[in-house]
Amino acid sequence: MPRILNNKKPISVGRLIIYIVLAIWSVTTIYPFIWVIINSFKSSNEVVRNSFSLPEAFTWENFTNAFSNQNILRSYKNSLIISGSVTIVVMILATMIAFALTRYQFRLKTALLALLSASLMIPVFSTIIPVYKMISQLGWISTYQAVILPQIAGNISFASIVMMGFLRGLPLEMEEAAYMEGAGVTKVFTRIIVPLCRPSLATVAIFCFLWSYNDLFTQKILISRERMFPISNLLEHISSKYGTDYGLMAASVTLIVIPVLIVYIFLQKNIVKGLTAGAIKG
Amino acid sequence: MLYKKKTPLIAFLLPGFAMLLIFLYVPFVDNINNSFYNMKGFIELQKFIGLSNYKEMLQDAKLHTSLINSLKMMGLTVVFQVGIALLLAILVSNIKRGQQFFRTVYFFPIVISATAIGLLFNLFYNYKGGALNQLLQTFGKEPVNWMAATTAFVMIIIPTIWSYVGFYFVIILTGLFDISDEIYEAASIDGCTKAQAVIRITLPLLRGVLCTCITLAVTGALKVFDLPWVIAPQGAPGGITHFMGTYMYQIAFVNLNVDYGAAIAVAIVVLGVIVSLVINKILKPDANL
Amino acid sequence: MHKYKKFVALLIVSLMVFGSLSACGSGSKGTTEANTDAAETDQETTSGEATGVTSEKITLTTVSMMGGTDPNTERYQEVIDAFMEKYPNVTVEDSSQMSDQTWKAKVAAQFSVGDEPDVIQFFTDNNASEVLAADQFVTIDEIREVYPEYAAAIVDNAWKASANPDGVNRAVPTTGFWEGLFCNKDLFDKYELALPTDWDSFITAVKTFKENGIIPIAVSLNEVPHYWIEHLMLSAAGGEEFTSVPETAPESWIKGLEILKELYEMGAFPEDSQTITNDAAGELFKTKQAAMQLDGSWYAGGIDDQENTVVVAFPVVEGGQKGPNDIIGGLSSGFYITKKAWDDPLKRAAAVEFVMMNTSPEQIAIYWNGNGMATVELEAPADMTPLGLAGLELGNAATGTFAPTDARLIGEAYSSITTSTVDLVNGTKTAEEILNNALQINMDSQE
Repeated sequence: MPRILNNKKPISVGRLIIYIVLAIWSVTTIYPFIWVIINSFKSSNEVVRNSFSLPEAFTWENFTNAFSNQNILRSYKNSLIISGSVTIVVMILATMIAFALTRYQFRLKTALLALLSASLMIPVFSTIIPVYKMISQLGWISTYQAVILPQIAGNISFASIVMMGFLRGLPLEMEEAAYMEGAGVTKVFTRIIVPLCRPSLATVAIFCFLWSYNDLFTQKILISRERMFPISNLLEHISSKYGTDYGLMAASVTLIVIPVLIVYIFLQKNIVKGLTAGAIKG
Repeated sequence: MLYKKKTPLIAFLLPGFAMLLIFLYVPFVDNINNSFYNMKGFIELQKFIGLSNYKEMLQDAKLHTSLINSLKMMGLTVVFQVGIALLLAILVSNIKRGQQFFRTVYFFPIVISATAIGLLFNLFYNYKGGALNQLLQTFGKEPVNWMAATTAFVMIIIPTIWSYVGFYFVIILTGLFDISDEIYEAASIDGCTKAQAVIRITLPLLRGVLCTCITLAVTGALKVFDLPWVIAPQGAPGGITHFMGTYMYQIAFVNLNVDYGAAIAVAIVVLGVIVSLVINKILKPDANL
Repeated sequence: MHKYKKFVALLIVSLMVFGSLSACGSGSKGTTEANTDAAETDQETTSGEATGVTSEKITLTTVSMMGGTDPNTERYQEVIDAFMEKYPNVTVEDSSQMSDQTWKAKVAAQFSVGDEPDVIQFFTDNNASEVLAADQFVTIDEIREVYPEYAAAIVDNAWKASANPDGVNRAVPTTGFWEGLFCNKDLFDKYELALPTDWDSFITAVKTFKENGIIPIAVSLNEVPHYWIEHLMLSAAGGEEFTSVPETAPESWIKGLEILKELYEMGAFPEDSQTITNDAAGELFKTKQAAMQLDGSWYAGGIDDQENTVVVAFPVVEGGQKGPNDIIGGLSSGFYITKKAWDDPLKRAAAVEFVMMNTSPEQIAIYWNGNGMATVELEAPADMTPLGLAGLELGNAATGTFAPTDARLIGEAYSSITTSTVDLVNGTKTAEEILNNALQINMDSQE
């Protein structure tokens, strides 16, 4: 692991301060999470009255409410397929774009860069209806591809730009060496760049997945059939709209969040592995 | 630069840009077209009105408020979101134990969707019985209307900034790992202190990543929607907490003035492009290559 | 290289996933083609005679607003199940959702690109203006030429009320709604206040509650000021002027809205009325922290305390023209059949049968359940709560029932009023400006 300076002394004051600062911030990030989980075991009234203590009347009813709709497993599957496909395709396409835009010089480069940045700016509300028209004419409403394709487009610019940031930080020596030895560009790309980028790839992939997973708006408009609902749609559908059932809402959030966290924690380990392997450079 | 043959270049660029073309650029051109017409509903173009939507923008006070709020948000996100993320990343890369713990934990707010976070903070800010007021009352103080005109903006900014620190944190941290140890070791041999190492080695080498982060932060600030809308729908109170993103949604989907909304979308994109070009000029991310 | 292999494996998997997905997509298209082929060969069973439902395998696409936690959702699903049991060859693909802004936009988009469902339960007033503009519905008269008994039990008043803005009936209405002032009777009793059936009692109540730390009126000025705007206008203008669509705003409308500002300055609304959400405002009322809430018949079912809550007609403001028992209410939705289904010989009978199943007197009784207004002659259910009875009484005693403003003004115009409410109470805009602006928008759209 990188260290700025080798420090062999036992916990110094400086170290301690660092830990305190980090701990404070981690409290702010962990607490809301715990809050949501605790409150998913309370009835809605209790959540409103006293949201900060442990449940007085511990109840599973919010979860049984949510699960009583048996399609929940099917929605998880839908979400996985949709967000998984989006992530994989975006990562491939974005890395390619990032590679091209950082390693080549050509006339259209600035124009393409500007175009890429511009697409980052385009609000989804402005394109959703024309996209809906298009998808509908293809007869693809309520299919997986209806959501996958626009989401890919929506994510490519962001992923490309982030990958460009990382690629810029990679020194050129290894590519140069391989290229001089006669390796074609594609080989350099697949055998050198991609493996080196693994931590960045994993990072961007997680964000991509999350963004697609949580994107309720696109999913709502392009998917109307309940059996194709991804999990965010389904849970919003279930959540009470007549008055607010905060308990059910907390349970829904928990149900949405847990799978992603599990995926993230697993991927974390891969990132670390990638780091230690990739750190052996040269 | 390095690679002589240009043909693979096309292969690399084509698929991605093709997707962008079909699902983003073409619909957006449609959107631009819509802004020149008076529209009835979401699809029907009724009457050509030329630039009159854009002229209306010049006089729309709520739009000006949204613009100013968005600009403020941009500044705040750069300083605080990226700033705090940078600080945390440097700190975390400095410690031996607990790195993985912090990395996992700082990520939590991002996993929770922005809407859920908004609902959470609503329960904090609620006047009657919200968590903050409950806390005040246990100390014998009067409840405060947190969403009153004077404080609403701050109350919205706090969760918006907080929730995305983890995002930049992870990106910067990954970038930090790309800096090989040898440079630091060489520097320490030369007598460089930790602080100097940060300023002279880390920051410059992070240039590309930081530029990315700042661009993303700024453009994110322009588009932000879910959080502000859940906490303060329709720019409550009275439209003073509107941002460009929320204002556009309100105009197009609530007021059903679709053509004007389309014009605002165009404005958002133009503004964003200008800002990101400026950032690129200032930070010169390609300087290292 | 180990990692490289993983990457390739992922790539292959994703290609396979993609491949199978596109296969799925084309698969469903295949069945529709089969359907149309069958339709062409089956020309004998076409219009001209009222035929029974086909025995071919078909899919009926339906949409309704009874989704989410609408109490009627389950009942509607039961009808679907019963329908599919009766006709095992028909698959009903239903995509019902509770109506909100996004959903309405989606439906409008569906109709304009030709993706409309076969049967849809939707609005009949100006809320449906875009959808109606696509002109994809068959009219009741056309249906009755082939099926004379179609929706025979619906009473005349219901037909009148559910006609589309152009006066033609296309939808079969099932239930209507009323709007009224919900009151926490126990709070009124506690402070020895009369129920607000006239303006004086109303103002007295507001003042007394305010003095005693109870929020007089629960409302979200930001999200849902709609009912207050409409009732104040009705109260001041009286039914006739209220339901007119003039070029400039009448004095009475302006006066009505100005009262909203007065109430705000009196402190009748919650401290955070400008930012509070509608749901949270409702919570205030339901937990007895607020005394009154103006809402509709759909709201009654969600109130926990059915014993001590009542609903009364909105009082008449000073100098107002409304009759004391005039209310806002009406019929604003019904079941439509699209031309797509009607012209398809295989689907026509099925669609008609589906609607008739949903609109039979027995089914309407189930949907109605004493709440709101029924479109056929029905008796009140035996076991209604005090609140339910109060609502029924409100509907029965009504001397006039007037449709709310969004039935007459197009969406953009009406929303320009509701989104200006906060400006109104803050004094940034005057009632006159707001109303005239809305009427102007409405007029422009008529060109």
